[in-house]
Amino acid sequence: MDAGLFAQYVMNGLMLGMMYALVAVGFTLFFGVLDVIKFSHGDVLTVGAFTALAAYAGLRALGINSEGFELAVMLVLATLAMAFLGMAIARYLVMPLRSAPALNTLLITLMLGTVLRESVRLFYPQGANPKPFPALLPRASLDIGEFNLRLDNILMLTAGVLVIVGLQYLLNRTKLGLAIRAVAQDEETARTMGINFTAIVLITFAIGSGLAAFAGVMNGLYYNEINFGIGLYLGVIGFSAAIIGGLGSIYGAILGGFLFAGLQTVGTVLLPFASAYKDVFAFAVVIAIMAWRPTGLIQEKISERV
Amino acid sequence: MLAIATVYLIALLSAEKQILIIALLLAGIAVVIAAAWFGVLEGLGATFADHENALGGWAIIAALAAAAYFYDNHFVLLLVITVLLYSVATLGLNVQFGYAGVLNFAGASFFGIGAYTSAVLNTYTSLPHVLVLAAGGFLAALAGSLLLFPVLRTRGHYAAVVTIAFALLFKTFLEVNDVLGGPQGMQVKGMRILGWSFNDNIEIGKISLSFYMNYFVVGLLLLVGAIILVRRLERSWIGLNLDALRLDETAANCFGLDIARWKITAFLIGNFLIGIAGALFGMVGGFVAPNNYTFADSLILVSILLLGGIGNPWGLIVATIIVVVVPEKLQTIQEYRFLLYALMVIAVLLFRPQGLLPRPVRRYFPGWRP
Amino acid sequence: MTRIPYRTAVCVAAITFGFAAWTADAKDKVKVGFIGPLTGGVSVNGLGGRNSADLAVRLRNAEPKAKYEYEMVVLDDECKPNVAVQVATKMAADKDIIAGATHYCSVTAIATVDTYHKFGFPVIVWGAVLPDITYRNKYDEVHRVNGTMINQNDANAELISKLGYKTVAVIHDTTDYGKGHNEYFSKALARIGKVNVVGTFGVTSDQQDFTAELTKIKALNPDIIYFGGLTPIGVRIRSQMDKLGIKAVFDGTSGIVSDAYIQGLGPLAEGTLAFREGAPTDKLPGGQFFMDKYNAQKYDNPPEAYGPFAFAAMEMILDSIEKVGPDRKKVIADLADVKDRDSIVGKITFDDHGQNTVPIITKYVVQDGKFVEWDDSEYASGKRKLPGQK
Repeated sequence: MDAGLFAQYVMNGLMLGMMYALVAVGFTLFFGVLDVIKFSHGDVLTVGAFTALAAYAGLRALGINSEGFELAVMLVLATLAMAFLGMAIARYLVMPLRSAPALNTLLITLMLGTVLRESVRLFYPQGANPKPFPALLPRASLDIGEFNLRLDNILMLTAGVLVIVGLQYLLNRTKLGLAIRAVAQDEETARTMGINFTAIVLITFAIGSGLAAFAGVMNGLYYNEINFGIGLYLGVIGFSAAIIGGLGSIYGAILGGFLFAGLQTVGTVLLPFASAYKDVFAFAVVIAIMAWRPTGLIQEKISERV
Repeated sequence: MLAIATVYLIALLSAEKQILIIALLLAGIAVVIAAAWFGVLEGLGATFADHENALGGWAIIAALAAAAYFYDNHFVLLLVITVLLYSVATLGLNVQFGYAGVLNFAGASFFGIGAYTSAVLNTYTSLPHVLVLAAGGFLAALAGSLLLFPVLRTRGHYAAVVTIAFALLFKTFLEVNDVLGGPQGMQVKGMRILGWSFNDNIEIGKISLSFYMNYFVVGLLLLVGAIILVRRLERSWIGLNLDALRLDETAANCFGLDIARWKITAFLIGNFLIGIAGALFGMVGGFVAPNNYTFADSLILVSILLLGGIGNPWGLIVATIIVVVVPEKLQTIQEYRFLLYALMVIAVLLFRPQGLLPRPVRRYFPGWRP
Repeated sequence: MTRIPYRTAVCVAAITFGFAAWTADAKDKVKVGFIGPLTGGVSVNGLGGRNSADLAVRLRNAEPKAKYEYEMVVLDDECKPNVAVQVATKMAADKDIIAGATHYCSVTAIATVDTYHKFGFPVIVWGAVLPDITYRNKYDEVHRVNGTMINQNDANAELISKLGYKTVAVIHDTTDYGKGHNEYFSKALARIGKVNVVGTFGVTSDQQDFTAELTKIKALNPDIIYFGGLTPIGVRIRSQMDKLGIKAVFDGTSGIVSDAYIQGLGPLAEGTLAFREGAPTDKLPGGQFFMDKYNAQKYDNPPEAYGPFAFAAMEMILDSIEKVGPDRKKVIADLADVKDRDSIVGKITFDDHGQNTVPIITKYVVQDGKFVEWDDSEYASGKRKLPGQK
């Protein structure tokens, strides 16, 4: 395989990995803070993408045609809207169930995911059909031998990296981040220290859902298409990636995301039938990794009061 | 009490006009809410527990009565059979989660293993079909135990992830694999026991019974057997061990219970039930395809478990009836059924997390009240 | 409690209504069925078919000389085989429904043939093109008015050989539909012998990401990428081709002849080839009549490519019931003997497997956002050129 083709595969893997990582980080955030697995995360991504699409349609109707401006507005609108949605979910669905067994929260978020997905399918005009997503990034590309280097891919990768770095900064260098980490470690002590538990939880959910919206828009830009089912697929993969990396660790989530994408890419290269078996391969490896290191690659440090 | 319920069910099943169905449903919901309000439901639950054998007998008679009423209506009988077999599968899930606390999000996949087993064995071998059913159960159990090995040492949600990954893997694997029919699936030959072919209508004199009657009888036998098995299990020392395991793993370990062994046992038994139900269902439908056994279908099984009340077989049956029959009948909202259905489960989880008929506390002497 | 009186009231009301309706009707009511993909990626075709069949029923009910009053029962097969088997069982098990016009998706049609045979339910397929549907078994219940995929793939192979291309890469979905396209296309190419297939790739029918296959294809550098599958995937492959900078011609089958394809791609759809059996709607013998009546009803969706066939199928069912009465066995016997019956799509003759022969294949190319016939297009005349066209 020549260098150009190899580079193409690497690029494919990186793009996929970035999207998976963004979703995985969301899962990890929620789990760290509230010990909940919020399964509707993937579908929040879908709603975010569709919100952005609706915003685009609205802007076009108003006659605004500048691509950069449109993209900015779409991103801001989608992120804010999803942040609110995330907070609502936390406030009304997740927090009331904190004393119930964890399965209930899992199930309620699963069902919520279904509600979100079906609502998009039923209530967005022609929601059941895949919808073209506008290509708002510059389309310049450079051909280096076999490898087609596209400017929009580079831009998206950079944006994703910036977002993740920004998140790290937020968590590790700011007071808010300190509060979030404190709540994640020990809820009671954090409360004793004067941290407003509910506020922190809501903010964490807002951040996570905003991330989902960002990932949704990115997904739309990359594939030039969105449909109501993308959330389910990405959600499951993001969840598996977060688990592999170790729930509760941001680095683990990022690692898991890229690892999963890498597995899929390797699968398509090695296996004869291209994409046919790539998901099977990736999920089988997930199961194998779980067998070897059940709590994920970056172990979750748990202590249970007996 | 049961008679009223049976009549209500028959009316619901035979009603065709949408308005009538909606009216019946609203009436039913109103009754349930009124009953809950007046505290009748707790009393009902107690009555169920007290007179369990009698209740079981009545239920069988009720089922036979319903079947006799619809003797030549193919589609209603198919619905009834679906309810019976889903109940068996959910009972299996109940053993896994309700008794042992092991999460299984791949219920539909094991159901599918049973179904595909019956498809393959029926087509390629001439194994007697009763054995095929058993084989379906065994294969599902085997697959389940293999799957569970990796995560026995960990906490609950990691096991859940493995089952989710398996559920997705199963569907994709079947789709890309042409040997097992690929996305088109395989046809399954109807059941034959001792030369009696199940796929022909039964003719008694001038009355022609739907051929689904055959499957109905087998399905009913299976359900009754499953309930008896599960009940006996719960009352026995196995059930005690599983309960201990579920309620407090650390304490159970201190007492000398081998966690791994008991979890696998529960998983095995549960999967066996699911597999048999799947094998029979494959033969009833005559068709297996990967799309029948997706993650969404596993979610439906888990939701039935939650709705009905974890750990209570009767609640399960009621919940199965609701989940299977209502969307079929309400054709006008056919499009919206997943949405409404998910909203319903959310409502249940928020306001009545124990489900419709929660599991009563274990009684040492059956029928004894403190 | 007010429960019992309420229910009784409802029952009484229902009975009164029913009685009133019964006495008000002069003609007997007969039910006919329609199955198509009303939701999902190819729903526009299903909805178009449904509207067309509905048009046939309405026109018939408006005719005073008709012996019966018809009611159409519509079920959705979601283009999934398992759902199709369920709804087919439901429809066939209902003894009141006499016959049905069924299926656009080949995967659903092939899955349900055994069900219809089991219940003795006569059906006429209106949109599925897989040959096996009528030819795998000799079932008296199954008929089809539209053509099979064999002819369109022959025409496809001929055109690209004529245009002087040398290499083609095949992408097909892994359902029987896609596999069928692959089989017949490859055979046709091999027969003509001028074009080589450099690679064949199977994809699942709900696949999102094709970068893996397309990267491999890019390395093979074919002139044409042939796609055997339906519109949603066609849209994705075409747009991802552009992202990877692949400049081959995109060549599809009847599965992508749909407005949804053009809407999904916008300017990228330009220059796509496609083939379909049957003349374009306006050139059909009854095409103008059909379009006039269809537009007068103001349906929400256009009839799409196979609407006329759905109309013809339903008309045939209605004619048959008018002739022999609402009895399934008699309808099956009547449909076993169809020679040169008139319809809006031309004369219909069923062979011994219930298959109609549709000799005309229309070649399409997308030009300026519309499917234009190849011979009328600027590509054929040389004013515009496809990538790599000599």
